[in-house]
Amino acid sequence: MTPDVIVQAEALTKQVSSPEGALTILDGVSMSVRSAETLAVVGVSGSGKSTLLGLLAGLDEPTAGRVILNGTDLSQVDEDERARVRAGRVGFVFQNFQLLPSLTAIENVMLPLELTGHARAEQQARSGLGRVGLADRVAHYPAQLSGGEQQRVAIARAFATNPRILFADEPTGNLDEKTGGRIIDLLFDLNREHGTTLILVTHDRAIGIRCDRRLELSAGRLLGEPI
Amino acid sequence: MNSLSLAWRLLLRQRRAGDLKVVIAALAVAIAALVSVMSFADRLQRALKFQGSELLAADLVVRSPYPPKFEWLAEISRLGLKSARTVSFRSVVIHGEYSQLAEVKAVAEGYPLRGGLRVAADVNVEDASVVGIPPMGTVWVDGQLLTLLNMTTGGRVNLGSRQFLTDKVITLEPDRGGTVFAIAPRLMLNLADLPSTELIQPGSLASHRLLVAGDVGLIGVFRDWMQDRKEAGVVLQDAGNAQPRFRAALNKGEQFLGLATLVTVLLSGVAIARAARNYAQRHLDTVALMRCVGATQRKILEVLITQLLILGTVGSAIGCALGYVAQQAFVYLIPGLVAGDLPWPSLTPAMVGVSAGVVTIVGFAAPIIIRLRGVPPLRVLRRELGTLPNHVAAVYITAMLTLAALVFWVARDVTLAAYVLGGSLIAVVLLSALSYLLIRLINHMRGGVTVTWRFGIAALARRAGSSIGQIVAIGIGVMAILLLTLVRSDLLQAWRANLPPDTPNHFLINIQPGQLADIEKYFREQRWRRPHLRPIVRARLMAINDRPVRPQDFADAFAQRVVQRAANLSWMETLQDDNELVAGEWWRDQERASPLVSVEKQYAEALGLSLGDKLKYRIADQEITVAVSNLRTVAWDSFRPNFFLLVPPALLNGYPASYITSLYVPRSRAHQINALIKKFPNVTNIDVDALLRQVRRLVDRINAVLEYIFLFTVLAGIVVLYAAIQTTQGERRQEVAILRTLGATRRQLSIGMVSEFVVMGVLAGAVGALAAMLIGYGISAQLLDIPYRLQFRTWLVGVGAAVTIVTGAGILGTYRLWRTSPWQILRNH
Ligand SMILES: Nc1ncnc2c1ncn2[C@@H]1O[C@H](COP(=O)(O)OP(=O)(O)O)[C@@H](O)[C@H]1O
Ligand SMILES: [Mg+2]
Repeated sequence: MTPDVIVQAEALTKQVSSPEGALTILDGVSMSVRSAETLAVVGVSGSGKSTLLGLLAGLDEPTAGRVILNGTDLSQVDEDERARVRAGRVGFVFQNFQLLPSLTAIENVMLPLELTGHARAEQQARSGLGRVGLADRVAHYPAQLSGGEQQRVAIARAFATNPRILFADEPTGNLDEKTGGRIIDLLFDLNREHGTTLILVTHDRAIGIRCDRRLELSAGRLLGEPI
Repeated sequence: MNSLSLAWRLLLRQRRAGDLKVVIAALAVAIAALVSVMSFADRLQRALKFQGSELLAADLVVRSPYPPKFEWLAEISRLGLKSARTVSFRSVVIHGEYSQLAEVKAVAEGYPLRGGLRVAADVNVEDASVVGIPPMGTVWVDGQLLTLLNMTTGGRVNLGSRQFLTDKVITLEPDRGGTVFAIAPRLMLNLADLPSTELIQPGSLASHRLLVAGDVGLIGVFRDWMQDRKEAGVVLQDAGNAQPRFRAALNKGEQFLGLATLVTVLLSGVAIARAARNYAQRHLDTVALMRCVGATQRKILEVLITQLLILGTVGSAIGCALGYVAQQAFVYLIPGLVAGDLPWPSLTPAMVGVSAGVVTIVGFAAPIIIRLRGVPPLRVLRRELGTLPNHVAAVYITAMLTLAALVFWVARDVTLAAYVLGGSLIAVVLLSALSYLLIRLINHMRGGVTVTWRFGIAALARRAGSSIGQIVAIGIGVMAILLLTLVRSDLLQAWRANLPPDTPNHFLINIQPGQLADIEKYFREQRWRRPHLRPIVRARLMAINDRPVRPQDFADAFAQRVVQRAANLSWMETLQDDNELVAGEWWRDQERASPLVSVEKQYAEALGLSLGDKLKYRIADQEITVAVSNLRTVAWDSFRPNFFLLVPPALLNGYPASYITSLYVPRSRAHQINALIKKFPNVTNIDVDALLRQVRRLVDRINAVLEYIFLFTVLAGIVVLYAAIQTTQGERRQEVAILRTLGATRRQLSIGMVSEFVVMGVLAGAVGALAAMLIGYGISAQLLDIPYRLQFRTWLVGVGAAVTIVTGAGILGTYRLWRTSPWQILRNH
């Protein structure tokens, strides 16, 4: 493995059981991502993009194959150890935001900082929210924010710990075009500022084009680099 | 499509989603607990009545000064009841040069209809139960008579103009009667032999008893029939007014069973309420969607209510089936529970069960569902719209009225129900108010704690509405469990304390004033405990407030008996510790000779006496009038000499008195009693050892049953707690998954969740335990007559247990979440 490879997947296969028997949703996918690289995973809906992302981040376990994330072979460690690998080093942005409804905006951003024992979590979170333009909404609950605002809180949360890798799963999927565009701009701006590795899942080729590299998935198989 | 079939199809669809399982399971478990406890308690209560019947040897006794009339017997055979006759009178029994006045009882084939005699081959040999009556030509006697006549079994005695073979010694005659005192030794013969003794002539002073037994309902019919035809001197007696010593133990047992049933109803209600609320909550989306596709509000309402009815019926039916299986299992678990077979379970618990299920689920869910009509169709787009109304007073009031109605429906004892309900209501109000305040308070301090705690606290605060509901449910669960625990241990302690191993098993009566010193000396020589010698003056009640008393003026059988017989007046300086003053005042020193009387409470109630009433008694050839100065309750099960009537110590100076005392002599040394009787031939020994053993056996059995019922109710309570915690599981799943993507370790997750459970447990436990103690205090002190102390330690234990159970159940419920892949969970949100 080359020293600056930060995520590496080897022959990843994922099967799930369905009423019609075992269903292969990811089929022998191998890939690697270098540090500070931006990678787009594109493909039609249902092609297995989210599944791949979940496996790369160690949120799910593959049926076969392995993932090496930041130097740790995820198949060799337990769930708690995988969480430790993520803590502070991996950020997430989801299509449906996934903010905790019981916490305010700033508390949501503070979460990953506090989980890693960050000393000045509140100031850090406040400045992060300021960076995404939500300085005056810190005490609001997710339900009181619009979709675009919620996604900006999620982005602030994702960058709060200055992670080495950011996983984004269709971050604009639930937003209108204009808002989505702004969110993508914000995501790329922050990514540049922090020098983060970005793995971005999207079905939108226009967004994919802004990344250094693109991989296309089709029915669970890698098609190689389009364009 | 009509609403019913739409409701049905939608339900079937949900079945696949697994939603229904949760509601039906909650309902089924709650109803199973309710039906099993109720059904078992019901069977047992009927069986215990039966044990009470043993003390009468029948379910109902008709006592008359003349032989039973033909029409009575005709009615009994028309109803298909069993019957048997006895005739009792006093007569002198002669053996050689010795003679003794005895209580003679002639019994007919079939006696006793309930319970059984125990006899032994001779005095001081092992006894055994016996079926049947003395064969013709023989008599059975008690050990006392043999001693007094200076003979053994196998000897012959003369009774009237006949001679009989003395065959067996009676050690237990359960229906010997409540007035243990002032009866002579027993001689029992076959009724067929009675005419040949020529002792009973028309007009002789004999008491005729007609024993009746059979189906409870038919007995009731016969009792009513008799009641209408009763002439002067005829008295009806049933198990309810049998031996007070037994009744005391039985009553407490029955009341505890009643309490267990009530508490189970309450717990079931709470469980169903939580399930109903969950169900309604989950229906927000369905309702929004239905409105989007154009369903009218009326249609939605019809569909949802129909679904509730279907759910309620199905869940309750499953619960009933499970409940009957469970209660039958109890019967197998505790063999030899009662003397005979347990009566069959009745259908009432099933009826109560199904109605309880349907009524509670509709009662708790309907108010929410009526509000659901108003869910905006826009919720399909924005989930935060139209969340459930949590603080609608109407919801809670309707639901609680439903539950209250249910509790009163199953309660046999209205006072008991009132205590339980009143206490629960206070607990609910207190719990809601306190949890509301607490949630506001901790919400303010969430900035000051670590992330994991903050997370738990924030979760509580954010879910304020459901948190309050949850805390109330848990609090009621804790209250119910603790209440039962407290009352049960009180009950056990009280029983144990009342019947220590050295409980007196012999009463010595008829001791003459001149013998007191000798008796005390004899006791000293035998190294027996110093006797408490209690005086008795026999007196006949002549008038109450100058109105002459006649038996027929009283409706109550007990009162009639009291008026017919001579009363025992005793006196006392101070109140014995097994007596408790309930009204009026005990006499002062300067009233030592005042014409006052202290009356036992039930005795006073039967005769309609109140403080200040004047009672005129005839003692020998003198008359004396005393005023009721106070009322007492008596713990009859203490087996110490106790009296309905007490007068000041110096009032009856100079009146003819005899003395009574009780003592404990181990059965193996019963010959010591015989030696005493030989030395003081005028003294009569009443052996209550067999009776005492019977009471102990009864207490043990009731105890074993209570143990099981108690365990079962506690299990039901834990299920409720678990269900209450499950309520917020959906939200929790998402939280756990997000935290895990952010890199939270299992330790961090568990601290967060445990903090939430601990806060809930402490609050629910504190209030629940307090409520339990207050209700327990009320029930113990007021209903069960058990001295009760409120202890801080009990409360602490309650809180500790609540925190443990809530946290335990919480971790159990969420543990699974830590093993599921977070990705799988997030996909579904
Ligand atoms: N747990 C699961 N059970 C059944 N099918 C699943 C599961 N997870 C994913 N799938 C199926 O696998 C395929 C790929 O899913 P996904 O990775 O979400 O696709 P994408 O993100 O590219 O739209 C889809 O057809 C989806 O329905
Ligand atoms: Mg996807």
